[in-house]
Amino acid sequence: MSASLVLILVVATAYLATHLLYEWLARRLLIVSGAEYLVLGVLLGPQVSGVISREAADSFGPIIVLGIGWIGLTVGMQFYLPRLVRITGLTFRLAVIESLVTLSVVTGVLWWALPALGLTSKFWAIVPALALGAIAVASTPSGLDIALRDRKRREPVVNQLETSLGVNAFVAVVTAGLLFSWVHRAPTTALRPPTPTEWAVITVGVGVLGGTLFHLFLGEERKVDRLVVSLGGAIILASGAAAYLNVSPVLATLVVGIVLVNTSRGRAELRTVLAEAERPFYYVLLLLAGLSWRPSTSATAVAVVALYLVTRTVSKVYATRATTAWNKATPQLGRDWGKALIGQGRLTVALALDYARRPELPIGDVVFTAALLSVLLTEFAAARLVRAALLPIVEPLRDLAHRLPWVDTAEHTAETEIPRSESGATSGVFVPHVNEGASTLFGPEVDGPPAALPEQGSTDQRTPEASR
Amino acid sequence: MRRVIVLIMLYLLMQAVLPLGEGTPAALVLMAFGFLILGAYSVGELATTIRLPKIVGYLVAGLAVGPAALNFVSTPVMEQLAPVSELAIALIAFLAGAELHLDEVRKRGVLLVKMMTAELSVSFLGIVVVLVSLHRFLPFLNGAPMSEVLGFSILFASIAVVHSPAVTMALLSESGAKGVVARTTLGVVLLADVAVVLSFSGALTLARVLAPPPGGEGIGFVTVLWEIGGAVLVGAALGAVVALYLRFIRRELFIFAILVAFFGAEIAGLMHVETLLTLLVAGFVAENAGGGEGEHLRHAMERAGAPIFVVFFALAGAKIKPDAVLQLWPLVIPIVVVRAAGIWAGTRLGAWWAKAEPEAAKYTWMGLISQAGVAIGLSSVVANVYPERGEEMRTLFLAMIAINETVGPILFRIALLRSGEATPASFRGGGH
Repeated sequence: MSASLVLILVVATAYLATHLLYEWLARRLLIVSGAEYLVLGVLLGPQVSGVISREAADSFGPIIVLGIGWIGLTVGMQFYLPRLVRITGLTFRLAVIESLVTLSVVTGVLWWALPALGLTSKFWAIVPALALGAIAVASTPSGLDIALRDRKRREPVVNQLETSLGVNAFVAVVTAGLLFSWVHRAPTTALRPPTPTEWAVITVGVGVLGGTLFHLFLGEERKVDRLVVSLGGAIILASGAAAYLNVSPVLATLVVGIVLVNTSRGRAELRTVLAEAERPFYYVLLLLAGLSWRPSTSATAVAVVALYLVTRTVSKVYATRATTAWNKATPQLGRDWGKALIGQGRLTVALALDYARRPELPIGDVVFTAALLSVLLTEFAAARLVRAALLPIVEPLRDLAHRLPWVDTAEHTAETEIPRSESGATSGVFVPHVNEGASTLFGPEVDGPPAALPEQGSTDQRTPEASR
Repeated sequence: MRRVIVLIMLYLLMQAVLPLGEGTPAALVLMAFGFLILGAYSVGELATTIRLPKIVGYLVAGLAVGPAALNFVSTPVMEQLAPVSELAIALIAFLAGAELHLDEVRKRGVLLVKMMTAELSVSFLGIVVVLVSLHRFLPFLNGAPMSEVLGFSILFASIAVVHSPAVTMALLSESGAKGVVARTTLGVVLLADVAVVLSFSGALTLARVLAPPPGGEGIGFVTVLWEIGGAVLVGAALGAVVALYLRFIRRELFIFAILVAFFGAEIAGLMHVETLLTLLVAGFVAENAGGGEGEHLRHAMERAGAPIFVVFFALAGAKIKPDAVLQLWPLVIPIVVVRAAGIWAGTRLGAWWAKAEPEAAKYTWMGLISQAGVAIGLSSVVANVYPERGEEMRTLFLAMIAINETVGPILFRIALLRSGEATPASFRGGGH
């Protein structure tokens, strides 16, 4: 049986199984669906059963690159400037500090640990350490998406989480993109190999060109068919060009997304088109990630993976706690909103795949394994982590308790009907209506501006009640 | 003007990226795919401004960026993109089958069968006669005994009579025409597709008997029977599954549409049954047993398939070898002319026999000239069985297709305009 046929059968079966089984599980146990495809990929791949051979798995390369590009685009699509400017400086500050602290802590610890464990030389350790740092910053919005889909999001803590998820995604993609520009191997065909700065400019240039081409191509048309052709063309061209140049397809398509969302008048149609293919695309990417997985030959790799998981979790929880306290925002946000950022999902998978597909970079297998394990361990629990983050401030925000009835008792969970989304899926079923961060800044447009934290020292020191 | 700017930007992008990159072949294929979508689509839109069908634009774009000219899409890249063409053919076949409504078949089935029979028979006979007459000048028949000449002429004619469901579907989708000429043309094309698949299998068997291929590998009647009968069975089973999905699940149709086509093509290959027929039957069953939901799937399939169709036609254009066309020009012209004359005469005869509407009698033949993927696919099958002669035959086919696939859409457009079933505005605002 051909590898393509196996893949189609597996995706179709898994998809149906998800509908039948995980819908039920998600509704009752708040389990987020997605990571099972990763396991399925590993089980079918050359490392376990060998149903799909290494050659066959490699032949899916274009789909992987396209999937990576697709995710970059959905991340970029959330950065709609008119919405961004309505977010207060304090909200941004908290989000940026948390992102940079996580990036620095994880990178620093692994930069020290990798040579100490004998996995790389001290000189080269910065590359995988920085890659893991970038990957660590990314968080999945799945939990938040499940908890708050179809509901207005005007509470400060929810707004903070949405902003943080978007900033996390941005920092992760930009860091990875710059890293790939920095360590770019010189092409033999060029007269003078471009410098890292030039590669970074080229990456952004590919994105700008892709976005401009889409805009020029689409013109004033609003037909969905035409939108599909132009969107498909722009993503495929930008991802392909970036991958061919060996720069970051995620960063290039992130720029495409930013250009599109800020220049196109058909944002709503674009979202519809993206949403239609989003979920299946993610599942296929997870499956292919599982197929591509290669275990590390070094036993010390386990220590690196464990260190990554621990450092990231500690950093996310305590960096947010400290930053919030330092900015005197604990009354509005609570101490533990960082827990809602622990879950990892599709952007993590995309960044890890992007790193692992470059044979010239060190310990790709270890970086990939760490990222996949993190997704495996945290994505299932993403919704529960959000609940854990929101619980301490439910009391002051009584209204939130009505909107999230499951936070009161476990029994409520089984009884609560979760509303249907536009595509007909129940909101508790699937993670990924939107990308990591995509349900955030870009997310559902509510009536009026999003709630914001009062700026430190400003006269608007409203209580949570008043801020509603 | 905007289209020209897009094309200039695409050209500059490719000129800048190709020398700088050393990425994997997969990345190059992906980039070429995206380039073809945007580039061919833009040329297709430019074509409408000079009153040509978009498909002609796609073909011209393919020819311009293919190995014959700019070489942005090289031969290895085209080989890597072959699955796209297979997927497009599967989508086209499924959509074509889904266009056949049971009511329509009941009402107009006899008429369509009569027209198709007359048209295929007359054009088939005409091509056999011209090939036998010209056999001394044809590289693959020169010096062959008369039995072989006859066997290969029949084999050639069985492919040469084929039409292009892809072009027909694309132009109907582009124009939105639904009148009697549109429906008759589509019906004849689809029925002829099934008939050609059947007759081609028979002609290949006959050729193998009259001129055994190198290695003496034969093909049995049972194999042929399975290829055809099995395709109907597999297609019906696939169509039933799709119909059940449409009745009870109805979700994610965008991706489901692609999966169905891909799965259908894969399963047909795996079970050694005729791919086109399998998908055609699957589409027919899904449409007519889907509880009225088939239309949603068709829309999803058209939407998901739009970029794939653009690339499919562009790749078909890129495969055209202008030098081969020029070399074989003196031989190709008589065959093309006789085929067109046969189609015209056969359609008129069939229309008289079936008492078809005057518009159908007058204009249907103009929609039957196009040839594309199916003809290329069948000629590739011959090239596999007869490596040397089949390859020569394929070159002749490519030269012939180059003319038919350029002239055919233009003629069909004229037919739809003159019959009043489409307007120039409907072509400009069409789907793909």
